[in-house]
Amino acid sequence: MEIEVSESGADAAMSDGRPHLGRRAVMGAGLGGAALSLLPFLNGRAAASATTEPASPEAATATTAPPQRPTPEDVALLSFAQQVEATAVALYNEALKVIGWSDEQAIVITFIRDAHLAYAQALSGLLGRDAANSTSQDVFDANKAGFSGAIDAVLASAGALESTAVATHGDVIAKLVGTDGASLIASIQINEARYCTVLADLAGEQDPTVLLVDEEAASLVGEG
Amino acid sequence: MTNESPLHHDIETTDLSGVDRRGLFRLGGLTAAALAIAACSDNTEAGTLGRVGEGGTTPSLADAVVNDGVLLRTMAGVSTSIAVAYTHILEGGFLAKASDTLPDLGDQTELVTLFQAHHVAAAETFNALAVGAGADAWTCGNTRLDAAAINPIFKRLENGAPATDNSKVIGPSDDATRDYINLVHSLETLSASSCQALVPVLSQPAMRFAAMQLGVRSARQAALIGLRIFPGGYIAGVGESVTEEDTATTTIVADGAPPAPTAIPLPVALPARFGLLSPTMFIGGDGDENGVRLKVNFETPSLNSFAYPFSSCP
Repeated sequence: MEIEVSESGADAAMSDGRPHLGRRAVMGAGLGGAALSLLPFLNGRAAASATTEPASPEAATATTAPPQRPTPEDVALLSFAQQVEATAVALYNEALKVIGWSDEQAIVITFIRDAHLAYAQALSGLLGRDAANSTSQDVFDANKAGFSGAIDAVLASAGALESTAVATHGDVIAKLVGTDGASLIASIQINEARYCTVLADLAGEQDPTVLLVDEEAASLVGEG
Repeated sequence: MTNESPLHHDIETTDLSGVDRRGLFRLGGLTAAALAIAACSDNTEAGTLGRVGEGGTTPSLADAVVNDGVLLRTMAGVSTSIAVAYTHILEGGFLAKASDTLPDLGDQTELVTLFQAHHVAAAETFNALAVGAGADAWTCGNTRLDAAAINPIFKRLENGAPATDNSKVIGPSDDATRDYINLVHSLETLSASSCQALVPVLSQPAMRFAAMQLGVRSARQAALIGLRIFPGGYIAGVGESVTEEDTATTTIVADGAPPAPTAIPLPVALPARFGLLSPTMFIGGDGDENGVRLKVNFETPSLNSFAYPFSSCP
């Protein structure tokens, strides 16, 4: 007896006269069902996110966010601030040439000098090609003598310079629009305020009005 | 009489020939798809929880708007909290007492009174700015700062902590003067960093300037009180703290004695080159049975401590 084989065994097993779903079809149907079952969840998420829209007039009047990057006017102000920091580095370099610093004083003055260098470098990083990367000759010349005399006089001059820097950065913050520049200047200004107290204490000052700088020095903004 | 029972009859009459494995797959898939389609069919209340019976509607919370007014009146609250804390410390006379841990500290009552006046003025300035920005003035302390940090510190320092199922009783502070002067330093540092943190979030440069004017003063006060606590402690490793064991107030204990209390780090006037926004840790109070003292982090105001428009003084 001869048997004619006209189809493969797998197909033949399914050929019982009824329509059949293949394994792939079953898996496809399963995945489709799973996707469909996710629809209500996704739909709910979309609806939930839609409900976060401001619903009250107060929400609608939320403060408009200021720009992050410096504006062209900010760049000029930040360049000026960088010049002040670079000049402070040059002046502290002069101060460190003075003979007679105690170890403690030398360490603190070096710390402050390095901090000003870090400020100038941070501003350079923010400004990029627009950074001045130079000192202010006028400010340097006006303060050089004070940073080259006796130790007490140098400490007093350094305290006055820090107070000037605090006032200058305050005026810069009052004009900056972009938040990146304002944040950086604020983090610089608040530490320079501490330098005033530290330098006065280092000089042996006891009067709280001097240690806390009740009278701030004049700002350099607008002078040059 | 026949042997056929009713059960046998049912089995014979039920046709199970069409329910094979593939049939079950088909039925299952169709059922899942039908359920999914049914779930999608009604979107009118999407995003709301279904309920059974006569439950109340879901309450809608007020919008947590963060604008200049909210930020400024939050800082008014922080400044008021600090001023009120100083009042408590000054009225208790803690700063006039000698400290066993800090024998050279001296009476800092006059200096802290000066600090308190600054924070009262700062609160008024922040409130004036907040009103100018269209918000209501905030005339009490910051509720979150008071409840989570300042009040628990006072309670622990003055009363200790009662025994519980898991711990023994903890006594009041072993040196209240030391702890309160350290608290003053922590609060001044918090004030300075909070003012600095306002700068990138306030929209108007004039407001940033005003906030930093107050922050600058707080930074100087933090540096000064740090130097009073730790004379010569300008930066880490300088001054009287040239050896590691002198940079914290520790107690040496004998063999077999209970553990020494947690060391309390001494502050330095210049903790970093840039202004810090990181939390300020306060460590104080008497140690528990393991010597562990109370530790509280003071953090700049954030979402859980803002004085929102719907917030009000208690």
